[in-house]
Amino acid sequence: MDQIDTPLDADTHLIRHRVEQLQLDYVHAIDDGAIDSWPGFFTERCLYAIIARDNLERGQELGVMRFESRAMLVDRATATQHAAVFAPRTLCHVLSGTSIEAVDENGIRARTNVAIYQTTADGDTLLLVAATYRDLVVEADGALLFKEKRVIYDTLRLPDSVVNPL
Amino acid sequence: MDGPQPDKGRDIFAATDTTRVPFRVYEDQDIYKAELERIFYGPTWNYVGLDCEVPKEGDFRRNFIGEREILMIRKKDGGISVVENRCAHRGAQLRQALEGNAGETLMCPYHQWCYTLDGDLTSMPFRRGFKGKGGFPKDFDMTKHGLTRLRVEALNGVVFATFDRTTPPITEDFGKHMLKYFTRVFNGRKLRVVGYQRQIIDSNWKLQMENLKDPYHAGILHLFLINFGLFRLDQKSAYYFDERKGHTVLMTERGTESDEGDYGGVKVAAPDFTLTDHELVQPRKEFGDDVTLAIQTLFPSVIVQAQSNTLATRHIVPKGPGSHELIWTFFGYEDDDSEMRTLRLRQANLMGSAGYVTLDDAEALEFSQLGLAAAPDGAAAVLEIDGKDAQSGDCLVTEALIRGFYIRYRDIMGFEKAQP
Repeated sequence: MDQIDTPLDADTHLIRHRVEQLQLDYVHAIDDGAIDSWPGFFTERCLYAIIARDNLERGQELGVMRFESRAMLVDRATATQHAAVFAPRTLCHVLSGTSIEAVDENGIRARTNVAIYQTTADGDTLLLVAATYRDLVVEADGALLFKEKRVIYDTLRLPDSVVNPL
Repeated sequence: MDGPQPDKGRDIFAATDTTRVPFRVYEDQDIYKAELERIFYGPTWNYVGLDCEVPKEGDFRRNFIGEREILMIRKKDGGISVVENRCAHRGAQLRQALEGNAGETLMCPYHQWCYTLDGDLTSMPFRRGFKGKGGFPKDFDMTKHGLTRLRVEALNGVVFATFDRTTPPITEDFGKHMLKYFTRVFNGRKLRVVGYQRQIIDSNWKLQMENLKDPYHAGILHLFLINFGLFRLDQKSAYYFDERKGHTVLMTERGTESDEGDYGGVKVAAPDFTLTDHELVQPRKEFGDDVTLAIQTLFPSVIVQAQSNTLATRHIVPKGPGSHELIWTFFGYEDDDSEMRTLRLRQANLMGSAGYVTLDDAEALEFSQLGLAAAPDGAAAVLEIDGKDAQSGDCLVTEALIRGFYIRYRDIMGFEKAQP
């Protein structure tokens, strides 16, 4: 279990700035194809889930991906690179600003909208999902990490497979 | 039958058997239109949903059969009706939400024509006009202007419907073998929806169905399955057909694979790849047999999957010759304990749009469509593995199940068999 080892700064502007920087680092790593670095954005025990908004509104937690530990994220990153067959593609995440919804002993609750575009080898770009990140961010050893990252997507009828993490 | 009549009376299959499937059937617009009429709106039972999706009177859920939109509705008497989601007046879509409760009446939002939950027309505003003027003619027969009502049969909580009066009863259509395996999963226990996934896959709908009748690919393409022994071509297995060869069931048992070092020459990219968190591939036995994977394909539109503890229906919705939607309904049982509920959520990582297994499938289907669409006239798929016919068997290195699909397909499409 990761601990919050320093009290979080009460200055919301600073918190927002730090969380937004975390989000940018996170999406740039994915967009750059640095999938091996993806698990490093999470605490050891964590939740990463990509869930259709339609499911969640019905109280159903079923996800397109659902991982409960950093080890499972490592497995996903490895399997994607070594045990999956798919056409090459790149992602481009476009983020909104982040709103800080709560700061308490559990960490920082943050909400960020994201549009994720996918481009094929032939250069065709489509909007893969319109989604919202619902995150729980904690501080460990001076760095911010995701303890929970839920990607709640509106795009119920996905236009393509989800290969890389979102 | 109305509609396009491509090649009626003339066989587009070159051989008397189905070892060659002309690529035209995957891309020809007229053939596609004829498939909708003769197969989806013809004498077949199409998947509609699970009856637990509409528990209360007036509950509805919107879905598709072929390209037609339908509503599955819970009636007052506890039964289920299936009607087309289209007003009999001017053709407007009645319901836009995916699901909801209609109360006692289905009302069209456009001119407020109202129907019973069975689809009978009950009222229209200004039926008698205004101050003696306007209104409907006196001989307007409301009984002739109801919604299109489909024949419905539910089998242990699974709802099917057909547009055709001549479709045989579902138990007869499925046959003994199919019923036996259908009731392995749908065994009367009350069902519970775990969640949905939906995805557009840019391939012809038949390629989706064929893919689940193609164990050869599953033991080669899916390195994840091979690596963890979840599915291999050298495992103990069995597959069966119905009499008309359109339905199939295929089962394998994990842990029965051969010890021989060589695996048929399959190139495994990362033979030492292992999982650091093994929870994902540790299933719990839940049926009274040793089968760890059972895939049932029911002609024309649904696949029932039981891979470890992920149970799901995969519903195929055609979207033109070159595209289809796949709707996954992951389900469990009402009385699942909390451990099983967690397992079903966790193992869902294997399946769906990002699934460790099915991700490869969606990609391969699109590779197929892209490849065959550019093929010259007369080119065809070659299906000669394990003979030329379609008989039940126990060796997974086979294309018999796909050949069976095309026996049924050729028959229902009315393509006359070529003379030997």
